[in-house]
Amino acid sequence: MTDAELIAKLQADLGSRAEIASPGPRRLFLKVAAADIVTVVTRIRDAFGVVFLSTISGVDTGTAFELLYHFSIPEQDLNVRTEIPREVPRVASISPVIPGAILYEREIQDMFGIVVEGIPDGRPLVLPDDWPEGQFPLRKDWKFVRPAEVIPGGES
Amino acid sequence: MSFQIPIGPQHPALKEPISLRMTVEGEVITDADIRLGYNHRGIEKLAEERNWIQNIYLMERICGICSHSHATCYVQAVERLMELVPPKRGLYIRYLVSELERVHSHLLWLGVAGHEAGFDSFFMYTWRDREIVMDLLEMVSGNRVHYAINTVGGVRRDLDEGQKAKILEGVAMLRKRSVYYFKIGASEPSFVARIAGVGLLTKEQAVALCAVGPTARASGWDRDVRKEDPYAVYDELEWEVATADTCDVLGRVVVRVKELLQSYNMIEQMVQGLPAGDITVKAPRKAKPGETVSRYEAPRGENIHYIKSNGTEKPERLKVRAPTLANYAATVVMLKNGFIADIPLIFAAIDPCICCAERSVTLVDGRSGEESIVRTSDLRRRALARPANALVKGKAVWPF
Repeated sequence: MTDAELIAKLQADLGSRAEIASPGPRRLFLKVAAADIVTVVTRIRDAFGVVFLSTISGVDTGTAFELLYHFSIPEQDLNVRTEIPREVPRVASISPVIPGAILYEREIQDMFGIVVEGIPDGRPLVLPDDWPEGQFPLRKDWKFVRPAEVIPGGES
Repeated sequence: MSFQIPIGPQHPALKEPISLRMTVEGEVITDADIRLGYNHRGIEKLAEERNWIQNIYLMERICGICSHSHATCYVQAVERLMELVPPKRGLYIRYLVSELERVHSHLLWLGVAGHEAGFDSFFMYTWRDREIVMDLLEMVSGNRVHYAINTVGGVRRDLDEGQKAKILEGVAMLRKRSVYYFKIGASEPSFVARIAGVGLLTKEQAVALCAVGPTARASGWDRDVRKEDPYAVYDELEWEVATADTCDVLGRVVVRVKELLQSYNMIEQMVQGLPAGDITVKAPRKAKPGETVSRYEAPRGENIHYIKSNGTEKPERLKVRAPTLANYAATVVMLKNGFIADIPLIFAAIDPCICCAERSVTLVDGRSGEESIVRTSDLRRRALARPANALVKGKAVWPF
C-alpha cells in the first residue's frame, strides 16, 4: 500500500475526526480532537493493525499542550496529534487500548502536569519523592531555580 | 505469605540506580514494580538551551554504551529539518561506526549473559574479543566511548586505506572467534539449560506492551527499524532481520548472535563499497520552523527522537525515548512467575546494563514468624520442582 492509498483509506475511515498530513515519505500526522483520542486510537488499532506505540511527546506551545502519540506499522509511521488547553490539562488514557502506553503517560503527567484520566497506575515515575507539588519541569514557563545550599549542622 | 524485596535504588550489585520491588512468595516472584528517575538528568529541558551543534554532544552523553545511536538519531532529525543531504561517503562512515558499536554492545551483553548464567569463561573470551572492536572504534573515531564522529551534515573524520584494511582484518578475526565461541555456547548443555525457558514473554505480550529490539525479535516479532524505515544506507546493504521464536532468554541470546554475524557482513560491505567523495556538507546555524520524527535501531532496540524547531538556532522541543524504557513494561511481565535466582538473568536480557542484582538482597516487611517454618519445606519443594517446571525449549535454531 502506498502512502497516498493509506491516507485515502484512513481519511475515509476516520472521516471528519482526523486531519491527515504527510510532510515526507513514511511520515503521517493525524490531527484529532482530544475528546476523540481513545476512539481514533482504538479504530486505527482494530482496522489498520496499529499496535506499536513508540512514545508520547508533549509540547508546550505557550497557549496549549500538544500531545503526539508516535505509532508505527512496518510500512508507515503514524503520529497522532491532539491539543489540550493549558487551563484544563486533561486527556483520556489510552492504556486500556495500548497497554504499553502506561510508562509514557506517567511521564507526561510528571513532566507537564497533564492529568491522564483513567490511567491504571498514576504514580509519579521520574520525579523525586520530595518534588514540590505543582512544579512541572517541561512547561515552558518553568525555570530551574537552584535551592539555597543548606549544610546540616553548619552555619551557611 | 509474601515478602517484598527491594533491589536498589542504591545497591552494591547495581551499576545504575534503579529501584526494583519484587513481591515474592517463596522463590516465586508474584509481582514486580519498577521505579525510575534516580538518574534523571533533565536532558530534554537542557537541550532547549543548547544550539544544534552543542546538542550533538549532549545527546551522545545520554548513554555510555550506545552513545553513537542517540547522536545519530538526533543528527538524522536535524538534517531532515535543515533539508541537508549528507554525502554518501559521510553516511557510510557514520553507519559503519553504528555497526561497530552494535558489535561492541552485543559482545558486551553476551559476556554479561554468560556471567549471569554462571558461564564465566564465555564472559572472559567475549570481553577479550570486544577489545578488537573497541580498538577499531578508537582508530576510526579517536575515542573508545563517546566517538563524537557525527556532525550535522556528515561525519568529522575520514577513513584511509590502511584503516579500511585494519577494519576488515579485525572483523575477519572477530567472525572466526565469535563463531567458535558461539558453537561452544550452543553445545554446552548446562548453559542452554540455564537460559532456556527463563523470562518468558509471548509474542502477544510483546506486541501489547510495545517491546522493542532483540527483546521483541526473540518473541517472534520481526520488527527492525533498519528494515522497515531504511534510513540512509541500510537499503543498499544485504542483510536479514534476526528473529527467534522461543520467547525466552535463550532466544534473546540467539537473536543477538545472529545480529552480530549480520553486523560483520554489513561492516564488510560498507568498507568494501565505501564511495569516494566528501564526508560532510556545511550546515546552516539555524533550522526552519518545523518538526520531525527520527527513528534508529540502537543495539537495544528502537530509539526515537521527536524534534520541533522554531526557526532559531536552538530546538523548541527535543523528545528522546531510549529503547530500555520501552522494554520495562515487558520486563515486569517477564519477571512475574519467575524465580529470584532468575532476576539478574531476565533483567540483563533486555540489556539495561544492570546485572548481578541477586548477589545481596535484603528481605523486609510482611514477615510473620509461624508461617516461615512452613515455608522452609515449601521452599525446598519449590526448589526441587524448579527444573521440572521450567519450560525447557532447547530447540532454538542457532545460526550455524
